[in-house]
Amino acid sequence: MPSAMDYSNNTTPTWCLGCGDFSVLRSLQGAAARLDIAPHNLAVVSGIGCSGRISGYLNVYGFHSIHGRALPVAQGIKLVNPELTVIAAGGDGDGFAIGTAHTIHAIRRNIDITYVVMNNQVYGLTKGHTSPLSTTGFITKSTPHGSIESPIKPGILALSAGATFVAQGFSGYQEQLVHILTKAILHKGFSFVNVFSPCVTFNKTNTYQWFREHLLNLDDIDNYDSHSLQSAMNQYLATDGLFTGILYENDDPDYYSKLPGERGSAVVHQNLDISDQFNQLMEDFY
Amino acid sequence: MTKKITVMFGGIQGEGVVSTGDTLIRALSRSGYFAYGYRTFSSRIKGGHTNYVIEVCTKKVLSCSDKLDILVAFDQDTIALQYKKLKKGGLLIYDDIILVKELQNTLEDKNIQWISVPLTGTAKEYGATVMKNTAIIGILGKLFQLPFSKLEGVIHQSFQKKSEEILVKNLSVLKKSYETPFAEDFDHLQYTLSPSADQTIRAAMIGNEAIALGALSAGCRFMAAYPITPASEIMEYLTKKFPQVNGVMVQTEDEISAVTMTIGASYAGTRSMTATSGPGISLMMEGIGLAGMAEIPLVIVDAQRGGPSTGLPTKHEQSDLNSLYYGPHGEIPSIILYPYSVEECFYQTIEAFNLAEKYQCPVFILSDLNLSLSRQTIDPLDIHQISIDRGKVASASSHNLPSSKSYKRFLFTDDGISPRAYPGTPDHMHPITGIEHQESGRPDESDQNRSRMMEKRMSKLKPLKDLPGIDLFGNPNSSLLILSMGSNFGIIQDAVASLDTPVAIGMMKRIKPLPASQLSCLFQQYHKILVVENNCTGQLANILKQETGYHQQIHSLLKYNGLPFTHQDIQMKIEELI
Repeated sequence: MPSAMDYSNNTTPTWCLGCGDFSVLRSLQGAAARLDIAPHNLAVVSGIGCSGRISGYLNVYGFHSIHGRALPVAQGIKLVNPELTVIAAGGDGDGFAIGTAHTIHAIRRNIDITYVVMNNQVYGLTKGHTSPLSTTGFITKSTPHGSIESPIKPGILALSAGATFVAQGFSGYQEQLVHILTKAILHKGFSFVNVFSPCVTFNKTNTYQWFREHLLNLDDIDNYDSHSLQSAMNQYLATDGLFTGILYENDDPDYYSKLPGERGSAVVHQNLDISDQFNQLMEDFY
Repeated sequence: MTKKITVMFGGIQGEGVVSTGDTLIRALSRSGYFAYGYRTFSSRIKGGHTNYVIEVCTKKVLSCSDKLDILVAFDQDTIALQYKKLKKGGLLIYDDIILVKELQNTLEDKNIQWISVPLTGTAKEYGATVMKNTAIIGILGKLFQLPFSKLEGVIHQSFQKKSEEILVKNLSVLKKSYETPFAEDFDHLQYTLSPSADQTIRAAMIGNEAIALGALSAGCRFMAAYPITPASEIMEYLTKKFPQVNGVMVQTEDEISAVTMTIGASYAGTRSMTATSGPGISLMMEGIGLAGMAEIPLVIVDAQRGGPSTGLPTKHEQSDLNSLYYGPHGEIPSIILYPYSVEECFYQTIEAFNLAEKYQCPVFILSDLNLSLSRQTIDPLDIHQISIDRGKVASASSHNLPSSKSYKRFLFTDDGISPRAYPGTPDHMHPITGIEHQESGRPDESDQNRSRMMEKRMSKLKPLKDLPGIDLFGNPNSSLLILSMGSNFGIIQDAVASLDTPVAIGMMKRIKPLPASQLSCLFQQYHKILVVENNCTGQLANILKQETGYHQQIHSLLKYNGLPFTHQDIQMKIEELI
């Protein structure tokens, strides 16, 4: 059984001391170790921002893509090589500003990948600008008078897009986060995991302390039915999204299992020579 | 003797003009003749005038004549809009439900023959109104004296997937139309096609189909794309055929997703492509830069249409050259191929996949609406002529490649190309990033590293500059060389063929990197170079001037009204220059 450290490439992260992203990194390593995923069979694709650096800190196939596009890249990888465990990770700007369309459609497609949003409700790497997940009234360099826009509710958006796995974690609750990520990776389909990952430099509102005071742990609710869409919606609205745990999961078939044709080995292993079929292909054009 | 007949079908968009044209082209190609089709359509689903011009010939043909021998009118509008294109003595065939009284004087002035035929009538009597399209196939088949069995064959193929009843009805409409004699005073014999020299059965294809078939033959097994005119046929073909080769086509939410998903699949080790037109290219630019920076093979088809913005979405233009040539922000190595015939679409697509993996960079297959959508009789495609070269790939078992501990994805090498390792390869884990990086793949913004890495990437394509990229035609004993690209080939070739003056023709099949050595030979050989292109600013001419410096010798012929050049456009310019 590998240890979490087997997934580290010994690069020192550029993150600020105390950044919530450290915990996300350690939790991902922990989940991979718990599932005994060979590092060469793990691909982690990230977007741009502080969070985007995560793919460069792992001893895996790490792909630091472009802003908002981690999900399409990750889907491309998984579709041609389903033998890989593919994880997309990015910030709230990646997932809910520039890449919102990809988030919705990736959820809807239900390709078997795990998507981790490292949500700090602020743009850190640009040195403090508002995010689509910032609370109304949030003061930043781009909203000196306070944000006048309403934040997106990531869980509701995921549920309405047809998500088959929706969970939330908190960098301050690492043991639960490892558990959630393990379940998310095991889930056969698209797993959406929103992680409250505090920015200690530019978000003085949503701090570790603030989250500890406000988050409800779904694991503490007796008989919470994570297979009911209705309960999931109710739970989300009742807590205004401030909870951790697995909100919703179902067993809908994933994208790959619905592809037409006989699917033997992965696309990437296919024989590329079709000269024996060529004459038959030409028949269409006579 | 070569015989050529130019025929136009005109009618209301959405009523089968296109499928009628396609069917006739297939029937001719099966019967040993050659055909070339050109479609005019507008950006709407039903309604409005549409037409399809077909050049019928006893030898290979790649353009339509400027004037028509036959105009087939399914409706009144077609006669009003198109009869002026008929040659003196030309033939108007119209559905007898149309009233032509008003036009009678005009038609007589032009010395035009006209015959009315019961297209709708026969269709209704033996099948259904929509089968008037089959009726005209019967009538033209008889006019050209094509064997009935060939017509029957194509109708079979067109309708066999529909119900038995529909097939049978179409066949009776065809038979009735073919058997009904022409009026006695109509001299139909002048339209008889002489029996073709060879009875070879040939295929007919559009450029987009050849690109898609080329991709499949090159081992492309993944495509992500967003529908757009005039590129959609490529995704439509591959999504149909992929299941039988275990490939995957995804219709994405936008072109940004299309290009980045393609990059992901290619990075993972599968030959992958996307296809789009100008507006999609604009959206893809950031992704294209990523592929250049992270050295990921990427094949992108750009079937050009009229720009900018939504521009002329169903019209012909060649104006994306600058966008592709100068590319995304920053500087990346990239390759632009531009096939000039349907056959070349097939072979160059295969070449594009090999180049993309050899040089680990974006490769554009440039096309234009006219090339992408014009159905034409083609020469046989030879699958055995092709080879698949995956370039430098590291594997766990390869001994001559770097061992696990020292594997560096962006290793400095003599040719600037470093072995790739697909995810899943043991002991070759590495990071990649769009940030400037070191050999290991880790970000590194230091000045020394930046210079070396930039030089590594930008030097990869140097060898291509010395490889030829222009195919030469016409008469080399001339002082004039016409340089052009894409579907202009057929037009220029046919325009030049009827001139007494010798003219050389060069088709630019690789635009980037420019074939510098070959160009400098050509500029020494020919006094005048005429660059023929469909855009307003002379994009190709400007690139040639910039890269070769031969400003004085370069002349331009431009057209940017949405239509391809006519033979006359080319001929007039040649006369002016010689």
